Amino acid sequence: MFLTRSEYDRGVNTFSPEGRLFQVEYAIEAIKLGSTAIGICTSEGVVLAVEKRITSPLMEPTTIEKIVEVDKHIGCAVSGLMADSRTMIDRARIECQNHWFVYNENISIESCAQGVSNLAIQFGDSDDDGAAMSRPFGVAILFAGIDEKGPQLYHMDPSGTFVQFDAKAIGSGSEGAQQSLQEVYHRSMTLEEATTAALTILKQVMEEKLNSANVEVMTMTPKDFFHMFTKDQVEESLKGMEKIEPEHQRSSLESGYKKSPSIM
Amino acid sequence: MMMQTEMNAYYPDYSTAPIQRQINPYADNGGSVVAIAGNDFVVVGADTRLSSGFSIYTRNQNKLFPMSDTTVLGCAGCWCDTLTLTRILKSRMQMYQQEHNKQMSTTACAQMLSTMLYYKRFFPYYISNILVGLDNEGKGCVYSYDPIGHCEKATYRAGGSAGALLQPLLDNQIGQKNLVKPSSEDLSQEKALAILKDVFIAAAERDIYTGDSVLINIITKDGTKVETFELRKD
Repeated sequence: MFLTRSEYDRGVNTFSPEGRLFQVEYAIEAIKLGSTAIGICTSEGVVLAVEKRITSPLMEPTTIEKIVEVDKHIGCAVSGLMADSRTMIDRARIECQNHWFVYNENISIESCAQGVSNLAIQFGDSDDDGAAMSRPFGVAILFAGIDEKGPQLYHMDPSGTFVQFDAKAIGSGSEGAQQSLQEVYHRSMTLEEATTAALTILKQVMEEKLNSANVEVMTMTPKDFFHMFTKDQVEESLKGMEKIEPEHQRSSLESGYKKSPSIM
Repeated sequence: MMMQTEMNAYYPDYSTAPIQRQINPYADNGGSVVAIAGNDFVVVGADTRLSSGFSIYTRNQNKLFPMSDTTVLGCAGCWCDTLTLTRILKSRMQMYQQEHNKQMSTTACAQMLSTMLYYKRFFPYYISNILVGLDNEGKGCVYSYDPIGHCEKATYRAGGSAGALLQPLLDNQIGQKNLVKPSSEDLSQEKALAILKDVFIAAAERDIYTGDSVLINIITKDGTKVETFELRKD
């Protein structure tokens, strides 16, 4: 992809003559190695579904945490370098609590994303806020939340750019999944339909067979806010999905990327 | 050692201790603020006298500061602190608007004021603040503060130099306290305004730091209306 061999892909604070920041672009490439995560925003709420890569039968699947609660009204799904994502989620949580402390109200989803974005672009030179970060974060994040504008879904990439979406997929299967989302998404979708659609698409792009141990599902609704599905609830959703689409087509959308153990 | 201090008490000129001088960073410039909230409105009034001791600096000083379309802050106490606090508050309101793409609600402003005051816990703004506005449901609300940020939500409140004088009067007239037959009627805007003017007349009679005139803001969903009302000038 970047065949113009040059020295401009070393520093994070140097533009190439064509006006590109290679390290940022490489980081965007890195998130394409992460596990797939899907978010769909409906008028009833937002659903997030992510794949968990169980790389060894001796692994404890519940310790892989890819959907996290940031505040009661905001949940995030992450894909990419998990260690980096901890730092970003930490910042998101601080933004939420600080806003609550100062203004006694829930922060908007957009403002929360803006706060994390400010952290994401702190690579480069050191300044008053601290020492320089050596590289951009290798993480893509989906923000699902409820604020006064209703249910919302935001996506952020390693460059700190964040955009609102009706439905968005990140990670290794994102290209195929995004295509499928475009086909199935419609404005009058119910949350249940969205959950089923997210799982169906996840199943298509996952290498492993989908089961209640290797998937995490979360819904964000105006009534219950952050709700992580229990194992039983995931199994129920999987059953509901199979009822609608009995002949499951294993797709060829699986990516050919070599998996790095730290990127999950 | 004991001898030394005893001697210094009688002969201060012979003291060997360093001379300490103090300045008083605070002034009390007086002024009273009264706020009364109803179901779909809130009225707030502040007298326009700015004084220090037995002298009057001006008879025409506005002490009500609009923070947004639905929020007004009334300040009484140290005037220089009031100037600084209201300027910082205004800039915080603008920064919030630009950061979050919406106007700050009265409840958010109330909490922010509390945190701002507490952040100066050990060198406080010497101001009696009363914040009024409409909440997210359009209901009138009143928040009162002590100088270090304690915040209390109420429906009516008197603050400033005549605060202690007027609060029991409001308790009786608005809160219907200590009455044989308390009224259960909803407070109308006209009644609230009439009581507000009456209590200021009462304050101007007894408090030398309250007088000249009252500036009144009436906040409804249609906006803020400003009124003035003359008080005795002596």
